[in-house]
Amino acid sequence: MDLPNPEGQGRLIAQVIDKGLCVRCGACVGLCPYFNYFDGKVVVMDLCPAGSFRCLQVCPRAGYHETSPIGGETSNGIGVCSEILMARSTDEAVRKSSQYGGVVSALLIYALEKEMISSAVLTDAGDPFAPKGRMVNRRSEVLDCAGSRYSASGSLSALNRAIKKGHSRLGVVGLPCQMAALARMRLMQPDGKERSQAVSLKIGLFCTWAIDYPRLKAYLDRQKVESPVLKSDIPPPPSEIFRVKTQGGWRDFPLSDIRPMVQKGCSLCEDMTAEESDISVGTAEGREGWNTVITRTDTGSQLLKRLIVEGWLETDDLPGGSLDHLKEAARNKRDRARQAEIDRSTENE
Amino acid sequence: MNSISEKTGGRELLLQGNEAIARGALEGGVKFCAGYPGNPSSEIIETLIQASHDLPLYVEWSVNEKVALEAAAAASFAGCRALASMKQNGVNVVSDFLTNLALSGTKGGLVLVTCDDPGGISSTNEEDARLFARLAQIPLLEPATPQEALEMTRWAFELSEIIANIVLLRSVSRLSHTRSNVRTGEIPENETKPVFDTSTPFHTFPVVVKDRARYDKLKRAVKLYESSLFNCYQGPDRPEVLIISSGCAWNYAAEAVEILGLGERAGVLKLGTTWPLPKSVLEKHLGSCDRILFVEEIDSFLEDNVKSLGADLNKDIGPKEYMGRASGHIPLCGELSPSVILHILGKLFNISWKDIGYQSKIQELTKDILPPREFGFCPGCPHRGSYYAIKTALTWDERNGFVSGDIGCYSLGLFPTGFSQVKSVHAMGSGLGIASGYGKLDTFGFDQPVITVVGDSTFFHAGLTGLINATFNQSDILLLILDNSATAMTGFQPHPGSGATAMGEPTVPVDIEGICRALGAHVEVGDPYDMENTAQTIYRLMQQTGPRVLVMRRKCALVQGRQGGFPYRMRVNPDLCVGEACGCGRYCTRVFRCPGLVWDKGAGKAKIDEVICVGCGICADICPQEAIEREKNP
Repeated sequence: MDLPNPEGQGRLIAQVIDKGLCVRCGACVGLCPYFNYFDGKVVVMDLCPAGSFRCLQVCPRAGYHETSPIGGETSNGIGVCSEILMARSTDEAVRKSSQYGGVVSALLIYALEKEMISSAVLTDAGDPFAPKGRMVNRRSEVLDCAGSRYSASGSLSALNRAIKKGHSRLGVVGLPCQMAALARMRLMQPDGKERSQAVSLKIGLFCTWAIDYPRLKAYLDRQKVESPVLKSDIPPPPSEIFRVKTQGGWRDFPLSDIRPMVQKGCSLCEDMTAEESDISVGTAEGREGWNTVITRTDTGSQLLKRLIVEGWLETDDLPGGSLDHLKEAARNKRDRARQAEIDRSTENE
Repeated sequence: MNSISEKTGGRELLLQGNEAIARGALEGGVKFCAGYPGNPSSEIIETLIQASHDLPLYVEWSVNEKVALEAAAAASFAGCRALASMKQNGVNVVSDFLTNLALSGTKGGLVLVTCDDPGGISSTNEEDARLFARLAQIPLLEPATPQEALEMTRWAFELSEIIANIVLLRSVSRLSHTRSNVRTGEIPENETKPVFDTSTPFHTFPVVVKDRARYDKLKRAVKLYESSLFNCYQGPDRPEVLIISSGCAWNYAAEAVEILGLGERAGVLKLGTTWPLPKSVLEKHLGSCDRILFVEEIDSFLEDNVKSLGADLNKDIGPKEYMGRASGHIPLCGELSPSVILHILGKLFNISWKDIGYQSKIQELTKDILPPREFGFCPGCPHRGSYYAIKTALTWDERNGFVSGDIGCYSLGLFPTGFSQVKSVHAMGSGLGIASGYGKLDTFGFDQPVITVVGDSTFFHAGLTGLINATFNQSDILLLILDNSATAMTGFQPHPGSGATAMGEPTVPVDIEGICRALGAHVEVGDPYDMENTAQTIYRLMQQTGPRVLVMRRKCALVQGRQGGFPYRMRVNPDLCVGEACGCGRYCTRVFRCPGLVWDKGAGKAKIDEVICVGCGICADICPQEAIEREKNP
C-alpha cells in the first residue's frame, strides 16, 4: 500500500501543500481525518491510502479540474455581474460591529430571520488561537463574527462539519478562493452534489490577498501587540498601512512589513471579487462606511432587493470612475496571477 | 499464612526464582528490605511484602534504587540484616553509593540483588551488572537454579557479616522467572534490635586505609569460596573441552553436554562465587584441560577474569585455547539458550545435531497461526490518548517538534501504537534532563519544540532533578507528566503519589502539581481521554516559554478495570462506517490502532472486539464518520 495514495492525497500534498500554495480555505478539512485546520494552518495529520480523493477535487489550488468549474472568463475583471452598487446597513448597531457598511451582516441576519437559511458558516476571532470557521444561527452571533480577518481561516471546515451533522440551508461567507472551492465541491465525487445542495447562499468577499496568519502573529508578537486582536484594517490606497485594534486602541504598521507575509498561494489567484458567489461584497472606494455590492445570481439579486425594499439597506450608485478602478484592480490581480503562474512553470522547468 | 513465610523448613515448594531469593532472604534472617520495581526483579519485594504480613519484617518500595540501598544500609549499620533488590539498570543508579559503601563497609548482613535481563527482553539494555562487583570490589554470587537462589541468598547474609561488607547476588530473567521445586530451610527467630554504635562510624576515610581493608575482606571471601559447594565440577578428570559457566547459563551448558552425549569428553565447571574468583578451584581445573569454553550470560566477565588468572598461572598450567566471546565462539549479544550451546558444542565436537530446541518447535507449531505482533498499548490505555493529543499538537505546530521519552509503558511511544512520536529513550528520568538541554539550544538557533514525557513513578524516581535543572537554568521545557496513578509497567506497585506504602499503610500522596509549582513551573492538568482539548492545551503551552508542566491524569486502564471498569459499551454502526473509502481509509484500525478495534475484511467495515474492548469510549472521538458509538453501560 502506497502512503499517501499518489493519485489522491499524495498529489494534493505534492501540488499544493509541499509547494506552500495552500490558502487555508478549509475545503479539504473535515471531509476526513487526514487534514486539520488549527491556528491559521491547514496541516496533514496522517497519510491517506484512499483511492478516491475529494480533498484533491475540492482544492481551489490543485490542478485537478482542467478548467474552472464555472469556467466564466470575463473580460471586465469582476465576473458575472447583475447589479453593482454601493450599500450600507441602516442598523447603526450592525454598522458599528462591522468593517465598513455592515452589508454582509445585514444580509445574513435578514436571511436567518426570514428563514431563507437555517444557519450561516462564518469566521470568528478564534481567540486565543487564529480566526476559524464557526456555524451561527442568531443575530448576536453574526455580529460576533463581523469584521475582516485578512485570511481565509479554514472556515470551510466548519461547513463540512455542519453538513456532517446533517445541517442544510446554509449560508456561507468566504473569500474568492472559498467561493471557488464551493464551486468545485459541486463536482466532487461521489457526494459533492448532495453537499452543494446544503448551501443555499454564498456571500463572497473582495480579496486582494490574504495574510499567512502564523507569520502575522509572530510579527505582532515581536511588535508587542497584545492579544486578542479585535479588528484589523487595510485602508484603501494610498495610505500604505496595516491597522490593528486591540483593547489598547489602534496601532498602525507599514504595509510593506505585511506584504511579505501574504500567502504564497494568493499570488496565483486570479479572482478579486469572488466571482463564484451569489453576491459579493467589498469596501467602497472613497466612501468610508459603505460597501460595494455585486449580485451575480437570482438568489443574490432577490435577496438584495428584499433588503432594500424592506429598508434594511440604503444604497447609492458607485461614484464616477469607481467601477473602472475596481475593474482595473481586478484585472491587475488576474494579470499578476497569470504572470506568477508563467514564472512558476518556467522555474519548474 | 503464606507458605513463603512458614517458619519450619524441610518443605518442597514450587517457587519462582525470585520467590526463592525472597525465601532465602527470610531464612537468612533479613529484617529490612527495600527495592524499586523493574522486570525481572519485582517479585522479590512483592514476595517479601506478602511475608511481612506474617513475620517481623519491614519492606518498602523506595522512590528509586539508590535510596533503596541507602535505606537498607541504614538497617545494616544498625546491626540488622537487610536486602535491596533491583534490575540491572537500578545498579547504575545505586553505583555512586555502592562504590563508597564498599569502602565504609557494613555491619548487619547486607545483600544487593540484581536481576539482569539478557537480550533486553523487558529492558532498555542488556547490561551485565556483575561488573559492579569488580568495580566496587565486593563479593559476587551467581545462583544457577531456584534451589541455589534460596541457598545462596541465605548464605550471602552470613558472608556479608563475616567480611563486614555488602555482597552482590546476580540473577537473570530466566532464573528469576523460572519455577521449580525448592526445598526450604528454617526461618530463624529474628529479635535483633537495631542499635547504631556511635563509636563505629561508617565512612570512607582515610580512603587508602579503607581501600586496603576492602581488599583484605575480599581475601577472606576467597578463602570461603575455595571450599564452597556453590562451585562444582562434573565431567572426566581430563576433559577435551572444559566449560566454565555460571548462573543460569550453566543449565544450558549442562543440558547441551547431556543431549550431545559428551559426558565423557567435556567437563562443566559451575562457578557460583564469581568475584573474586576462587583461585585454587580454577587452578586445579585449568590444569586439566587445554581448551576452555566460557558459557555465561551477557558479558565476558568470567572469561576475562579467568584469562587474566590463566596468564598469572601460565608458568604452571601452560598455554590454553580460550573460547568465548572474544574468540567469536559465543555470540557477543543476545540471550543464550540450550540451542546456542548445542550449536557451539556440536561444531567443537563435530557432532551433527538437529535443532530440537524450543525456538524451532515453536516456529514449527505456530507458523500459520500466529501473525507477527507489534508492541501495543492496552485497550483503554490513557497513553494512547496522550500520544494522540501530542501528535495532534505537534502536527498543528508545524515546527518539526518531537518528544523526548523516558522509561515506562509510555516508552512505547517510540512505536506506531504511540504514533511514533517519541524520538529518544534512555534511562529513568533522562527524558527531562535531555529536554532541559534542548531547551538551552535556542541560543544557537535551535527552533524545534520539544515535549518531554515522564510517568508519575519515573518522575519521583529520577525526574525531579531534571526539572529542577530546567527551572534553575531557565531552560524552555514542556514536561508532560503522564500520571496514571500507578507504576504500571512493572505491576502496579505503589509509589509516593499513590497514597499507600508497600505494606499497605495509608500515606498522604505526594502532590505532583504542588512540587512542580514550588519549583517555579507553570502547571496545568489535562485529561488524556479528552484528546481534542488536551491537544489544544499542549499546543498553547508549546507557544509559551519557561518551564511548563502539564499533568495528564487518567488511571491506568488495568487499574480502572479492577476498580469497576469503564462506562461504555462500544459498537460500530455499519451503516455509517465507510471503511476504506475516501473520508476514512480505515482510520481507526490503521492509524488509531486500539486493539479493541478490528477490521472486518469481509464486510469492509471496522468492528469492536468485544472481548478486548474495555469501553473507555475515546475511539468514538476519532471516527471521522461518527460510526463508533458509545452506549452507557446499564
